[in-house]
Amino acid sequence: MSLKECYVSLEGDYEDVLGRLRSERLVQKFVLKFLNDGSYDLLCRSLESGDYGEAFRAAHTIKGVCQNLSFTKLYASSNQLTEALRSGWSQKAAGLVEQVKQDYEQTVAAIRELQKETGA
Amino acid sequence: MKNKTTRFLSVSIVVIIALCVSVFSFLAYYMNRKSMETISEVGTIYMTGMNERISIHFQTAIETRLAQVEALAKLYPQDTDMEAEKESLAYNAKARELDYLALCSESGEFQMLYGDRIEIIDPQPFVESLKQGVKKVAVGTDSAGNRLVLMAIPASYVMSDGRPCAALVAGIPADYIRDILALDENNTLVYSHIIRMDGSFVIRSADAYRESYFDRIRGTFGEAEKEKAEWYVSQLAQAMSRDEEYSCIMQIGSETRHLYCEKLPYSEWYLVTIMPYDTLNATVGNLNRQWGYMVLGSCSLVLGSLLIVFVKYFKLLREQMEELDKAREEAIEASRAKSEFLSNMSHDIRTPMNAIVGMTAIATANIGNIQQVQNCLKKITMSSKHLLGLINDVLDMSKIESGKMTLNMDQASLREVMDSIVNIVQPQVKAKNQQFEVLIRDIIAENVCCDSVRLNQVLLNLLSNAVKFTPDGGSIRVTMYQEPSPRGEGFVRNHILVEDTGIGMSQEFKEKIFDSFSREDSTRVRKTEGTGLGMAITKYIVDTMEGTIQVDSEQGKGTCFHLILDLEEALVQEEDMILPRWDMLVVDDDHLLCESVVASLKEIGINAEWTLDGESALEMVEKRRREKREYQIILVDWKLPGIDGIETARRINRSLSGEDIPIILISAYDWNEIEAEARDAGISGFISKPLFKSTLFYGLRPYMGSADCKKEEQKASEDNRDLQGRHILLAEDNELNWEIAYELLSELGLDLEWAENGKICTDKFIRSEPGYYDAVLMDIRMPVMTGYEAARAIRATDRKDSDIPIIAMTADAFAEDIKKCLDCGMNAHVAKPIDVREVSRLLKKYMK
Repeated sequence: MSLKECYVSLEGDYEDVLGRLRSERLVQKFVLKFLNDGSYDLLCRSLESGDYGEAFRAAHTIKGVCQNLSFTKLYASSNQLTEALRSGWSQKAAGLVEQVKQDYEQTVAAIRELQKETGA
Repeated sequence: MKNKTTRFLSVSIVVIIALCVSVFSFLAYYMNRKSMETISEVGTIYMTGMNERISIHFQTAIETRLAQVEALAKLYPQDTDMEAEKESLAYNAKARELDYLALCSESGEFQMLYGDRIEIIDPQPFVESLKQGVKKVAVGTDSAGNRLVLMAIPASYVMSDGRPCAALVAGIPADYIRDILALDENNTLVYSHIIRMDGSFVIRSADAYRESYFDRIRGTFGEAEKEKAEWYVSQLAQAMSRDEEYSCIMQIGSETRHLYCEKLPYSEWYLVTIMPYDTLNATVGNLNRQWGYMVLGSCSLVLGSLLIVFVKYFKLLREQMEELDKAREEAIEASRAKSEFLSNMSHDIRTPMNAIVGMTAIATANIGNIQQVQNCLKKITMSSKHLLGLINDVLDMSKIESGKMTLNMDQASLREVMDSIVNIVQPQVKAKNQQFEVLIRDIIAENVCCDSVRLNQVLLNLLSNAVKFTPDGGSIRVTMYQEPSPRGEGFVRNHILVEDTGIGMSQEFKEKIFDSFSREDSTRVRKTEGTGLGMAITKYIVDTMEGTIQVDSEQGKGTCFHLILDLEEALVQEEDMILPRWDMLVVDDDHLLCESVVASLKEIGINAEWTLDGESALEMVEKRRREKREYQIILVDWKLPGIDGIETARRINRSLSGEDIPIILISAYDWNEIEAEARDAGISGFISKPLFKSTLFYGLRPYMGSADCKKEEQKASEDNRDLQGRHILLAEDNELNWEIAYELLSELGLDLEWAENGKICTDKFIRSEPGYYDAVLMDIRMPVMTGYEAARAIRATDRKDSDIPIIAMTADAFAEDIKKCLDCGMNAHVAKPIDVREVSRLLKKYMK
């Protein structure tokens, strides 16, 4: 799987990230690094413990990273979740969390595929 | 109303004429009379003077002679025997030029002493005066009948009959007096007679042949005016009897004579002086006549000018009336048009409104059927958009009519304007299967100062009309080009043409097209929707922008709108739009577009060649390959005469070995539907027309990664000299974000240091040497201490560099957040995701 295909798989914007980082090498490097990013875990943990302030920050961070890496689909859902969590917990937020989880899984799956291919 | 004015004017004209004439006539008449009176006075004065002179002359002469007689008498004392002294008397008399000498008795008898026998004509008064011892002069005759003037002085010589005489009388010919008095001068205007109280002549001028002056008067008057003559005579006689001076002006036939009569001293005689008036009269008459002409002349002048003024005024008034009528008709017409518009409007508004109401009802009734509801909502959306459009038009129109529409001038990018309207028009064009071309060339300035909203409105109006009035399969073309503006430096003249092959318009309509509420009145037009206001609003906007809009159209052939606007160039810091020196190929069937694109590409630094169709493109690519200097990027238009753009790309790719050359599709059409097919054929990307220089630049820039960009990096590093080695403190809680930022920003030559949260950032800053850090890039949302707090803390430090540039990085770009950043003392704000160029620009701007 090529980097481009990976982006297609996770429904991101390859052109966009290439324009920003300007080199495939860098894009690949950071995409792989995303697997190690702890924001998602933080989000899950804080939601469980009911710390919605932390959850908000975690969602916000995920959103920021997605922006940087042009993970468009995950960005969309994490953005919505961030806005929802801004004012605290709500039914709507719960629904969005599900969406975020889904998108995150999809993204991570695609990156893992890439990882396998490039042997990194 | 008209009649009242006319009547008033005519009445006043007549009145004024009458007034003028009467005033001037009165003046003339009055002057005439006054001058007559004056002449009469003058005459009298003159006559009196003359008479006096003559009288005095007479007196002097008589006195002289009387003195002579007295002297003579003295020679002979009282008791001399005059008879005996006859000889010496004769001698003395002759010496004194006395022709006769006699003694006069109290009864009036004469005893001649010298000369022939004489007789006195009117002895009575003569003797009476003598008796009283007064010297006297009288008239007498000699035996031959010649007239004599007798001068008598009282004396008491003894006469032959022994009685004393009353007087010594001397006689001289009457002619003497006449001569002396120059009574007969023919040359003078004035002549005189000496008459007695009964009118008989004592001395008369040569041409008087009657005995009596009265008769003379009577005779002069003639039979016709006998009564007048008698009147004058009686008047004269009366005056003489009263011993009064008499002056009158006699009108004899056509002559006028002034008569003056005065008693002469030493006699019973009266001096009558007559002056014919005619010469004087003639002079005065002349004067009068001249005066009369002058009066007439001035009167007519005044009247004439008055008349002219009146006539002009009348004409003006009538003009005004006509204009009023015209204005009234126009107002009525406008009002009628408005009513018609209102009724049309109501219908046009009601239709979508009904649709909305109906659809809402259907949706409510079928609330469970999601598809149905979605359908209804879609229709409601369309109808409400349409309705909103109509209402906006009407509102705009009323704003325009009350003069309240103003332009919001702002910097606008022509590229964005064109892009947006192309976007909006694309679906409409697709729906009607029309051909759509957008061409720009000779663009001097992409960014100008104008009201982009209104400009959009105008262009959209023109374009949607073009789409509306062009049948299926027709073609629409938008062209935009610029040239230097006659308005001067800093201004650029924009030409925008919207052409279509639609139904066109008739000659008459072309002239009215910009009038409000007007739509071509024909069946084919009535079928299309619209308020009829669009053109009027468009025209108004163009006028307010001080531009012009021209329309050229032929029924059945098509229409072309030509918009010309002089706009001020916007001073926008354009970044250097430079790309690597690629070899490019441009394929498009529009010759002008190819040239224009190649020119723009040259400005960006790219060497490009062009061709007009797919087949020749393939040949050129093949040729380059053989020469081993292949094209690095290919721009290809979708719609080409032979094989289309996608097919061309497919074929290029098929024959390619090794590297993928980016092939980019350019088109005015919507990319979405063909995207899949295009990507399959090997097309890497899409750039939408119109192709401004910046469009090309931003569109091609992403491909820098796949092409040789060493040169670009070199240039970039040159630009970033001031960033070399600068120490930047970056506060960011997420490691991934930090690493990305670090990678990107170190390329610029910056030396970055990481702070995981606000507290660490502040600590690092405080612990550093003043001036060590050149700037701080601050994320906002961080644990422990947020970016806001950190910024405040840094600003509060008492250090030389407490004013260090702090640039916020945040994914929240709401206005309140930005304001909060600035309130905390941060200098600027840059949005996430990170944009290297923007960060570098801000750093360059704020770092010392």
